[in-house]
Amino acid sequence: MWYGERRIKVKSMNLKKKILLGLITCFVLMQFIQPARNESDKVMPTDIQMIYAVPDKVLKVLQISCYDCHSNNTHYPWHSFIQPGAWLMASHIKNGKAMLNFSQFGELSNRKQLSKLQGIINQVKDGEMPILSYTLIHRNAVLKPAQKAILINWAALVKDSITAKN
Amino acid sequence: MKYLIFGLAILALGFTACNSNSDKKTEEAHKMSQQEMKDMNMHDSMGVTPAKTSSESVNISSIVTNYLHMKNAFAKDDSKEAGASGEEMVKAFTGFNKAALTPDQAKIYNDVEDDAREHAEHIGSNAGNIKHQREHFDMLSKDIYQLVKTFGGGQKLYYDHCPMYNDGKGANWLSETKEIANPYLGKAMPNCGTVKEELK
Repeated sequence: MWYGERRIKVKSMNLKKKILLGLITCFVLMQFIQPARNESDKVMPTDIQMIYAVPDKVLKVLQISCYDCHSNNTHYPWHSFIQPGAWLMASHIKNGKAMLNFSQFGELSNRKQLSKLQGIINQVKDGEMPILSYTLIHRNAVLKPAQKAILINWAALVKDSITAKN
Repeated sequence: MKYLIFGLAILALGFTACNSNSDKKTEEAHKMSQQEMKDMNMHDSMGVTPAKTSSESVNISSIVTNYLHMKNAFAKDDSKEAGASGEEMVKAFTGFNKAALTPDQAKIYNDVEDDAREHAEHIGSNAGNIKHQREHFDMLSKDIYQLVKTFGGGQKLYYDHCPMYNDGKGANWLSETKEIANPYLGKAMPNCGTVKEELK
C-alpha cells in the first residue's frame, strides 16, 4: 500500500518535470523564430522630412517617441530579441505603420495628410499616444508637457501650410 | 531527446490551434460577405437602388443617411449607436456605385472616400470612447460636406458651426433640421451653435 502511493508520487513528479522541461525547450526553440526587422537606412522621397520642414527639436521627439512604430526604421533595444516579446512588438509596429507612417507620409493625399496631422494633435493632446503598452517599457518615450507642445504646434503649422498651398 | 520531442509536440499543438483559429476567421468573413451580397441583391430586386446609367445623377443618400444617424447619436451622447452607424457607413461606401461617376467626379469621390472611410471605421471600432469618436466625426463632417457640395445631399441640409469645440477652434457638422442639436458637446450644451449655410 505504502509502496504503491510512493510510486504514484514519483510518477507525478516525473510528469511535472517533463512538462517544465518541455516548456523550457519550447521557450528556447521560440528564440530561433524571429520576426522580420523593421529597419531601413535609406530616407524615402516620401518621408515627411523630404516634403515638410521638420525642425531638429521636433525630429528628436518624433524619433524617440514615435518612430519605433510609425516609421520604416525601428530602434530595437536588446530585450526586443527575446520571444514572445518580439512578436508582440512586430504586431505593434505593423498596426502602427498601417495607421501612420512618417517614412511614407508623402504617399497620402492632402486630405489624408490633414486628417493624420489632426489625428496626431488629438492623440498627443489626449495622452493616447505613445500608447501605454509601449511607454511601460520605453520610459524615455513618455512625452513631457513641453514636448507635447512642440509636436502639437509643429503639426498645426504643417496643417496650415497644406491648407494654404491648396 | 525525449524532452525535445515533447517540446516540439507542444509547439506543433500551439501552431495548429492558431491555424484553425485563422481559418475560422476567414470562413466567417466569407460568410459575412455572402450575406452582404445577398442584401445587396435584395435591394436591387426591390428597386431600392435606382437603375444606374451614367446620365442619371449620382446618389449619395445612403452615405448621408448614415451620417445623419451618427450625428443624432452623438447629440444624444450615444457612443454605441454612433459606432453602429460608423459600421453602416463603411458598408454604404463599399456598396456605392462608382460606375455612374464621370472621371472628374470619381477623382473627388475617391479622394474623399479614402479619408472618410477611415474615419467611419474608427468611429465604428471605438464605441465606448466618445471623445475619440467625436474627433473623427469632426474630420468626417468636412468630408461629407465636400460630398454633399459636389453631388447634392438629396434633401435640404444645414451646415452648422459650433464655436466651442476643439478648445475654441470650432467645428462644423451637417444637419437635416434647422434647430441646433450639437453633436460635439451633446447633452451638456445641446443648443450651442449656429447655421452657417443652407444646402439644397
